[in-house]
Parts: sequence; C-alpha cells; structure tokens
Amino acid sequence: MEIIQKFGLETKLFLFQLVNFLIIVFILKKFLFAPLRKVFDERKRKIEQSLLDAENAKIALDNASQEKRKILSEAKLNAEKLASSVKITIEEEKQKATLEAKQQFQTILDEAKRQASLEFDNISKQLGKMSINLSEKVLAKVLSDLFNEEEKQKLMSRALEKIDEKITI
Amino acid sequence: MQISPDVLFSIASFSITNTTITTLITDIVIIVIVILATKKISLKPKGTQNVVETVIDYFKETAESIAGSRASFIYPWVVSFFLFILISNLVAQIPGFESIRFHSLSSGEYGVPLLRAATSDLNLTLALAVASVVTAHFLSIKHTGIKGYLIRFLSLKMFPILLFVGILEFVNELAKFISFSFRLFGNIFAGEKVMATMYGMCPFVLPLPFIALELMVALIQAIVFAMLTMTFMHIMTDKSH
Repeated sequence: MEIIQKFGLETKLFLFQLVNFLIIVFILKKFLFAPLRKVFDERKRKIEQSLLDAENAKIALDNASQEKRKILSEAKLNAEKLASSVKITIEEEKQKATLEAKQQFQTILDEAKRQASLEFDNISKQLGKMSINLSEKVLAKVLSDLFNEEEKQKLMSRALEKIDEKITI
Repeated sequence: MQISPDVLFSIASFSITNTTITTLITDIVIIVIVILATKKISLKPKGTQNVVETVIDYFKETAESIAGSRASFIYPWVVSFFLFILISNLVAQIPGFESIRFHSLSSGEYGVPLLRAATSDLNLTLALAVASVVTAHFLSIKHTGIKGYLIRFLSLKMFPILLFVGILEFVNELAKFISFSFRLFGNIFAGEKVMATMYGMCPFVLPLPFIALELMVALIQAIVFAMLTMTFMHIMTDKSH
C-alpha cells in the first residue's frame, strides 16, 4: 500500500484516465477513422478503377494497333495487287499498241506499195506512150526519106504494135 | 520532483493533479487534430489530413502484414494508443512546460508545477495498460469465442503440461499490466528527471542534446506501446495460438 501511495495511484484518478482515454478512442473512431476509412475505400476504389481503365485502354490500344497493322498490311496487299494488275494492263496495252502500230504500219506500207505500184504503172504507161510518140516521131523522121506514105504507115503501125505488146508484157 | 503527481486542487473530493491538466491539454490537441484532419477531407490529402493519413496508413499496413483481415479492428486501437501517448509525451517537451508554478494551500514556498507530462503519472500509464490488455481479451472472446479464449488458460490436454502453460499465460497477462505501465512511466519520468537536472546545471546549450533524446524517447515509447498492443491483440485474436 505504501508503494501504491508513493506512486500516487488513486482509484478516482485511474478511472478518470481510463474513461478519458476511452472517450478519446471513441472520438477518434467516430470522427477520424470512420471518415478516413471512407476516403481510403473511395481512393482504393478509384485506384482500382483507374488501373482497370488503364488496362482496358492498353487492350484497346493493342487492338487498335493490331487493327492498324492489319489495315496497313491489307492496304499494302491491295496496292501491290493494283500495281501488278496495272503493270499487266500497261504491258497488255503496250503490246496491243505495238501490234496496232505494226498493223497500221503494215497497212500504210502496203498502201504505199500499192500506190507506188500504181504510180509506177502510170509512169510506165506514160513513159510507154511518150516512147511511142517519140518512136513515132523518130520513125516518121527516119522513114519519111526511105518509104512512101502508105509504107510508112504500115511500118509505123507494125512497130507501134510491137512496142505496145512489149509495154503490155 | 516527486514520483506521484502534485495535487493542485480538488473538486468534490476529486483531486485535480498537474498530470490531469496535461491530459486535458492532450485531449484538446487531439480534438484539434481531428477537426483539422477532417475539416476539408478530400481524396487528395493535404496538410494535417496528409500527416494523419500517413500515420494511420503505416499502422494499418503493419497490422495487415501481421494480422491480415483482423487488422480492420486492431489498427484503430493501435493508432489511438500511438497518438495519445505521442501527443502526451510531445506536449511535455515544450520549453518551459514545467516552469509554470501553481500555489495552493498545501504547496510550499515555490508552489508546484502547473503542468507535468501526463505519461509520468502511473495512473495514466496503468489506465492505458488496462485498456490495452482488457481490449485484447475482449477482442479475443469476440473473435475466437469463449471456449477458444478459456482454453488458453485452462486446458486438460497433455495433462499437466498445458495446464501449467495456461497458468504461465495467466501470469503473463498479469505481467502485461506491470510491463506496459511501468515501461512508459519509467521512461518518461526518468526523462523528466534528467531534463530537470540538466536545466538545473546549465539552462543554456547543455539541455539541447537531451531535448533531442527526449523527443526520440517520446516517439519510441509511443511506437513501442502501440506495436506491443498490436502484437498482443493479434496473438489474442488468432485461433491458432
């Protein structure tokens, strides 16, 4: 008992301190821990939601990236197909144009040959006529001194016929 | 400086001591902290809310790492003990705290200190010890059941080994009152004695390292009390123990 007195232990003071502490615990629980627990829970919920959103965003980004790669690869494939088809078409057009040009060239050439041949024939005929006329005049000049008019005509006709035959051949 | 607190006056046979006054000051400080922390409560903590949240979060995480799901009802008690003891100890470290004298009819020529560290009063430390141990036992009955609680102290299995272990457990529980109360009381009272001696020897410069030491003691004692409470509550509410 002496020790208890020496340390100042007193029932009323002890009970006062005990009740005082329990009141403080009540105040802390009611007005500090309860509102802060709500904040903790809300914060935890928000963090979890944010993490979930971030995860979803990452998945969406990955999907978008995959979609982008897919679209790009498809576009590349289409472009390659288009380029190859265009190449084929150009080649075909080129060949077609070449063929047409060749045909046209051949046609023009044939026409030119035909025209040239006709021209040649005409010129040959004209030359023949000119040579007949010239021969006629030469013969008429040469024969005028050797033969009479009737013989001259016969000879001239015969010669002209022969010339004419040769020209025709 | 005597071991028992000095009686300043009495109200209807209830003695108001200098440690009682300090306890009330501690209460006011705690209430102010509660008001400041919850005044503008927000998801992005600032100022007092941030500090209080840091303390609560530290003990909550520690309790969760030790007691798992039982941490939800353990940590409020632990934080309460920590805050109350820490603030009581820190309030006493304010320079000139004990230099204000109070003159009463029974006090001598120089009177008695108006204020004295609340935890240097055995009434308070014993009250805290009783609160800690009794709460641990109450939580034990609540979470392990009356059978699970009693089997700790009275078991006839492996007779007489577990019976003897039960008696030791009972003695251990009684020893907790003494260890809890006298550890805190002894440290703070001794600190006050040292500070009084240092101020008496040379009030300039010399007390400075001891002030730093007392601030550390104030924090360490609060942590020790809170951590021991957490451990005992965990042991008492664990069915496997």
